[in-house]
Amino acid sequence: MSEAEVEDMSVKELLRKSIPRIFRATVVAAIVGACLLFSWLLFSAPLVRLYPESQLLFTIFTWAIVFFTFSIRVTDGTILKYCFIIGRAFFLAMYIIYATNGGILEIDFMNFHFSIGFIPILSLMVLLSLLAMAKGVLQAIEFTSESPKD
Amino acid sequence: MRQVIRTLNWTIIFLTVTTFLLPVTIGISLLRILEQPNAIGFKEPTVSFSNGTFSLSAPFYINNTGYYDLSDINVTILIGRNNTTLAAFSSPLLNVPAGTTLNSSYDLSFDIEKIVSKSTELLTDDTTLNLSISTFFEIAYVMSLGVSTNMTTSWGAPFYNLTVSEVSWNFSTQEFTVVLSFENHACFTVNGTILLEMCNSRSELIGLIETCLDVPSDSLFHDVLKLTVDRSKMTDNGIIHIYFENVQILEEWFSSE
Repeated sequence: MSEAEVEDMSVKELLRKSIPRIFRATVVAAIVGACLLFSWLLFSAPLVRLYPESQLLFTIFTWAIVFFTFSIRVTDGTILKYCFIIGRAFFLAMYIIYATNGGILEIDFMNFHFSIGFIPILSLMVLLSLLAMAKGVLQAIEFTSESPKD
Repeated sequence: MRQVIRTLNWTIIFLTVTTFLLPVTIGISLLRILEQPNAIGFKEPTVSFSNGTFSLSAPFYINNTGYYDLSDINVTILIGRNNTTLAAFSSPLLNVPAGTTLNSSYDLSFDIEKIVSKSTELLTDDTTLNLSISTFFEIAYVMSLGVSTNMTTSWGAPFYNLTVSEVSWNFSTQEFTVVLSFENHACFTVNGTILLEMCNSRSELIGLIETCLDVPSDSLFHDVLKLTVDRSKMTDNGIIHIYFENVQILEEWFSSE
């Protein structure tokens, strides 16, 4: 077998392995996206009226979650999966802080101005993300320690 | 390593459930309070105005039928006119533990002298006041809720159309006669002492008279005041100062001719 034929075979092999994985990742990401879209359709009407910025924030959240779901699924079995898990946890921590304006939401409705503060709950959410990041790091270490050496 | 990851996993699951259950149960708790027809209410307020002090006492109750304590309940009222803050009132921080009823009252009182020093027209002119009311409380010690609103309210002057008229010198009794009149447009009874000072054209005091007022709301005050004056200091014209509880409310020139 020539070198070109060997290379052609390995590309075919890679494609044979990757296509079902990409397909599965696409299906899972689409399901997650559809679920988020459905929940948005359920709750968006009162939310947008009270908090107009929520539409943009939710769009960013949905695309990010769809992206991370797809990436984590597609890189399953590699170290990259854990990088994306850590990245997702980091994104969620930053997103929660930004979207909730640091735990203080202010809404104007008719002649009233409402303010809702939930800094302790936000801290708990950020702690959750930090724990998820720590878990991702440990899983990555475990993965590398268990992987067969080249 | 696996055990650490498993422990972390369970911690994350426990915290996630807690993080999502806490706001939900807080919401249900708030709904339980608001569903009660007599959860929050005010009783008949009492308003008084005497000795230069305006006092308002509004009794209220809060029936906390929710699952969590309500804490740091505070109501702040700012009263302003033409972008000037005339007065600011804030209630002490109150706590209502879950399953209890709080009976308290919102008391505010202020010295009329301080208010009038910022806007003297309040005593003599009807006007519109800007009210800024804000309420704040914490529920379950983790979530705070605040509501604020701005509104306007009409202010009825307690000495509306305050007039000094028919200033005349009575030769037979050697007295000045002054007719003092005003309408009490305020929602409270005007109680206190009014002092009328008469000065000559050189601003020297020539006579004064004090009279006690007890003018109910929406009623007219009309009285004839007689002053004995120092004849040696009398001039053809002069100035009359009227004070209510040491606050000057009127200054008017007169002619004795």
